[in-house]
Amino acid sequence: MSQGQAPKRIGSLSFGLMDPEEYREMSATKVITADTYDDDGFPIDMGLMDPRLGVIDPGLECKTCGKHSGSCNGHFGHIELAAPVIHVGFAKLIRRLLRGTCRECSRLCLTEDERAEFRDRLDTTRSLGEDLGDVTKAAIRKARKASQCPYCGEKQYDIQHEKPTTYYEVQEVLAAEYSETIAAAMEGRPVEGEDEDVEREPMAPTDLAEETGIDLSRINEILSGEFRPTKSDRQALEAALDVDLTEEDMNKLMPSDIRDWFEDIPDEDIEVLGVDSQKSRPEWIILTVLPVPPVTARPSITLDNGQRSEDDLTHKLVDIIRINQRFMENREAGAPQLIIEDLWELLQYHVTTFMDNEISGTPPARHRSGRPLKTLSQRLKGKEGRFRGSLSGKRVNFSARTVISPDPTLSLNEVGVPNRVASEMTQTMNVNERNLDDARRYVANGPEHHPGANYVRRPDGRRLKVTEKNCEELAEKVDPGWEVSRHLIDGDVVIFNRQPSLHRMSIMAHEVVVMPYKTFRLNTVVCPPYNADFDGDEMNMHALQNEEARAEARVLMRVQEQILSPRFGENIIGAIQDHISGMYLLTHENPRFNETQALDLLRATSIDELPPADGEVSETPQADGEAVDGEEDGTKYWTGRTVFSELLPDDLDLEFEGTVGEPVVIEDGQLVEGTIAEDEVGEFGGEIVDTITKVYGNTRSREFINEVATLAMRSIMHFGFSVGIDDESVDDAAEVQIQEAIDSAYERVQKLIKTYETGELESLPGRTVDETLEMKIMQTLGRARDSAGDIADDNLTEDNPAVVMARSGARGSMLNLTQMSACVGQQAVRGERINRGYEDRTLSHYKKDDLSADAHGFVESSYRQGLDPQEFFFHAMGGREGLVDTAVRTSKSGYLQRRLINALSELETQYDGTVRDTSDTIVQFEFGEDGTSTTQVAHDAESPMDVEEIADRVIDAEFADEAERESFLRGETGETNLSEHGDTWRSPGSAPEVESDD
Amino acid sequence: MVDVSQHDLVPEHTVVSESEIDDVLAEYDIDRTDLPKIKRTDAALPDDAEVGDVVEVVRDSRTTDRAVVYRLVIE
Repeated sequence: MSQGQAPKRIGSLSFGLMDPEEYREMSATKVITADTYDDDGFPIDMGLMDPRLGVIDPGLECKTCGKHSGSCNGHFGHIELAAPVIHVGFAKLIRRLLRGTCRECSRLCLTEDERAEFRDRLDTTRSLGEDLGDVTKAAIRKARKASQCPYCGEKQYDIQHEKPTTYYEVQEVLAAEYSETIAAAMEGRPVEGEDEDVEREPMAPTDLAEETGIDLSRINEILSGEFRPTKSDRQALEAALDVDLTEEDMNKLMPSDIRDWFEDIPDEDIEVLGVDSQKSRPEWIILTVLPVPPVTARPSITLDNGQRSEDDLTHKLVDIIRINQRFMENREAGAPQLIIEDLWELLQYHVTTFMDNEISGTPPARHRSGRPLKTLSQRLKGKEGRFRGSLSGKRVNFSARTVISPDPTLSLNEVGVPNRVASEMTQTMNVNERNLDDARRYVANGPEHHPGANYVRRPDGRRLKVTEKNCEELAEKVDPGWEVSRHLIDGDVVIFNRQPSLHRMSIMAHEVVVMPYKTFRLNTVVCPPYNADFDGDEMNMHALQNEEARAEARVLMRVQEQILSPRFGENIIGAIQDHISGMYLLTHENPRFNETQALDLLRATSIDELPPADGEVSETPQADGEAVDGEEDGTKYWTGRTVFSELLPDDLDLEFEGTVGEPVVIEDGQLVEGTIAEDEVGEFGGEIVDTITKVYGNTRSREFINEVATLAMRSIMHFGFSVGIDDESVDDAAEVQIQEAIDSAYERVQKLIKTYETGELESLPGRTVDETLEMKIMQTLGRARDSAGDIADDNLTEDNPAVVMARSGARGSMLNLTQMSACVGQQAVRGERINRGYEDRTLSHYKKDDLSADAHGFVESSYRQGLDPQEFFFHAMGGREGLVDTAVRTSKSGYLQRRLINALSELETQYDGTVRDTSDTIVQFEFGEDGTSTTQVAHDAESPMDVEEIADRVIDAEFADEAERESFLRGETGETNLSEHGDTWRSPGSAPEVESDD
Repeated sequence: MVDVSQHDLVPEHTVVSESEIDDVLAEYDIDRTDLPKIKRTDAALPDDAEVGDVVEVVRDSRTTDRAVVYRLVIE
C-alpha cells in the first residue's frame, strides 16, 4: 500500500496436484548443471543460481521480469528427472490407490452398486462438513477385499508398503522345489514344511493324469522338473493333491510402473475416492519434473571472508542434479540394471529429503558439519515454522519490554513508561494549523529531549531524521501537511501485555505516564488480571499507530472497561493484599480519628472536605477511644466507616453478609454496619466493587477502586502493620495445652495400633483392615492438628497482624497460622501417610513395621519451633509432591487450553445473534442460549434475574415525571418533529404494505 | 431400563414438521446441514425421530425462561 497499489483480495484458493506440464510452462529455465557460480562470481546459466530465477543481489536486474531485488518475487525453474520418483508427501495415497485399483485395468475394484453407495456417502459427509477421510478409507478397505477385478477379472495381489517410498506386490509364484513336492504328495509322504502326521492317499501318475486332465507324459516331465506347469496346470495339481505349490514373491513396483498404473485409472473412479479429477490426476503424484524454487526462497549469504554460503535447499538441489546426471550418463552408457536401480534409489532419497528431512526410517540428509538440513517441510512445520512462527506470530515494531514494578500513585488505567522508552517509541502527528505549534515544539526538542520527535515526513513523502543538529532548523520548516513522529507523552493510549496471555484481560490498554528510571510502573490493583507480581516479571508494551486503533483501544480495551471478567461476570480488579488489611483496620472496630487524621487518610483521594463529624469526645473519654490521640474536651471525631463512606456513591444501598461473617449494611452511600474486607472490595467478586461497576458504570468503579487503594494505603500506614516471628508465638500455658492435645492424639493412635495388632480392629465397609487403620490414624492426627490450631487461635489476639490478614482475606489462612504457631501436622504423599523409603520403614531411625505417628510423617513441631531432622525430611517429601503437581498441572492445562482455543477461535457471534463457525454452521442459535453478556447481567442460582426491578429502574430513569411516564405506558404517541414527512409516513392509510413473499 | 427422556435434566426433544423446518431455515438463512447435529442413537430423542429429521430442543433458562435449539438427526 505504501507504493499506492490497491490492496488485492484473494478470491479463492484451490488445493490439488499439479500437472508436470504446468511445471514446465511456469518454469523460467531448465536447470541442468549443479554448479552455482563461475570463477568470477557470476551465476552460471541454467545453474541453480541462474539469474532468470530471480535476483537477490541489490542492483542487479531480474532476467525474467526486469525488476530489481526486493520487488521481484523470483521465478520457479525446473529439473527434468531422469526417471520418475515418488513424492513422499503422497506415500499413503499411493498405497491406497495401489490397493484399491486393479493391477491390470486400473479400475477401482468396486461394483457399480458399491460405487454409488460410496458416492452417496461422500456427498452426505461433504454436506455435513465432516471428514471425507473416513469414507474414502472405507471405500479402499472394501475394494482391497476383492480378490478379483470386477471388470477384467484379473486376480488382485496384496500391496506391501515399505516406508517411506517402496511398494511391493506380493505375488504367488511356482515354488522352486515344485517337482519334489508333487512327488512326495503322490507317494503319500508329508510334504516339506508339513507336520509329520499328515496322511494322503498315494496316487499313481495315471490317476493324477486322469483327475487333472493333464497328459501323462506331461506329468512325468513335470515330475522330472523338465517342464514348469502352467498356471492352470498348477491349480489342477494343487486341487488333486491337496498341496500348495506356490511361494510368495515380493515384486518391487518401480515408480515408473506405478505411474503407468495410475495413468489408466478412469476419472470417475477417483471421484469415488474423493479426488477431484478436474484438478488432480493420480499419475501426477509420481514426479517426472521437479520444480526448482526461486533463488529468493533460498538466498545465498556472503560471509565476512567473501565466501558464499548456500542455503540448505540449494545444497539439496545440487545433490539431486548430480545424481540425476549420473543416472542419465549410466543409462546411456548401458550400465547394468543393478547400478541403475541403485542410482534410482539414490535419486529417490534426495528428492524425498528435499521435501521432508524428518521421515522416519530414512537417515536425514546432513550438512558437512553434521547438522541435518532444513528442507521444505521443516520450513513450515512446528513452533518456529512458517505458520506458527512467522505468520501467526511475528516480531513487531513500536513495542517495548522491560521489568515491571508497582506504583500506588498511578491510576489503574495508567502505566508508567520509562522516558527512554517514551523517546524511542513514536506516535504520528498529522500537522495542521491547530497543532502546528505543538508539532514545532516537539521537533525543536530533538530526539533526545523527552517530549521530542524522531522523524518528520514532508508532504512529498520524504522522511527526514530529526537529529540534535538539525532539529531547530527543521522545526521552522514544519508546516501543515507534514507528519511528525513525536515521542510518547502522558495520556497516549498504549497496549500492555503480560504472557502467557490466557484471557482477554492479559492485554489491556493503558494511558501513558512518562517517568524516570527503567521499569514499567503499574498500579497494584491490575496485578490479578495480568497475574503479575514484581519478583522480576517483564511485560510488553505496544504503541498504537493509527487513530482507529487508538480509539478502539480506548473504548474497548482500557483497564476500566475490563473490571468485570467475562469468565464469571464479576469484578476481577479490586483491592488486594495490603489494601484489604488496610480497609479491615479502618472499618473493623470502627476506630475514631480527629480532623487531621481523617483528612490525612483522605488526602490522596478526590475528597477534600470532611463530612459532618460523627460526634465530639465527651469529658470522660470512652474506653474504646484509644485511636484518638490527645483527646480533649469537645474534640470532633470521625469514625473509620464514615471516612470510608466518603468514597461510596451517595445513593448506594446494599446489604449482604460480609467477609467476617457479619452483615454489611450500606444505606444512602453510608457504611452503617460491617467490616470492609475481601468480599466487599476485593478482586474476584468484591460485592461493593461489583455493584458499583454494574450500577454506576466503569468510570465510577475505576474512581472507587483507585480511592479504596489509596485510602487503604493511608490507613495501613496510619496504624502501622508488620509481621514478625514473635507474632506467631503463643504463651507457655497454650504451648502446654497444645502439647497435651498432641500427646493425647499419640495415645489414641497407639491404642488404634494395639487393637489392630491384636486383630480386633473392625474394618469399615469397603475397606481392608489396613486401610481402616490408616484412615483412622489420619483422622485422629488431623483432629489433633485442628485442636492444636484452635488453642493457638484462642491465644492469638484479634489485632495480631497475621490474624488480621487471615480474617480479612488479605493473605494467608487460619491453617497457615496453625502451622506456624501450633503444629505443622501430617505430611502426605499421594494422599496417604508417608510409607515409602526403606524396607518396611520410612527411615532408618525407626523400627521395622512401626506404625506410629512420627514414623510416618506426622510433624509435631510448629514452623516457629522448628522441625527436627526426620520431620524436616518428611516435610520435604510432601513439599516435593506439591511442586511436581503444580509443574505438571501448568504444562498439561497449557496444552489443553491451546487445543481449546484452536477449536473455538473461529467461532463468531453474527449480527443475527447466532454463533457460527467459518462455514456458517450454527453452533448456538443465540449467544450463550440467552444472548446476554455475562458482564452485563447479574444473576445466579439464588438470586435470579429481577426483570421487574430492572424495568422499573430503566423507566424511572427515562421519564422526568409521573405524567410523562403514565402517558408513555398507556401507549400514547405524541407528535414528533423527527421528519417533515412524519405525518404521511405515520398515517396508516398511505403506508405501503410490506409485501410478504410467503 | 431407565427412559432417559423422562429425566428431569433431559430437555424436551420434539420432531419438527417440514413446514416449520422451512421457517427455521429461512429465519437463519441456512441449509439443513448447517444445523447442529444429534445422533439417531441419542437416548433423549423421541422414538419416531428418523435420520434427516430436525428436532426442537427446549431448555429451561434462568435468563430467558426458554432456550430453543434445533438439531439435525444424523446416523
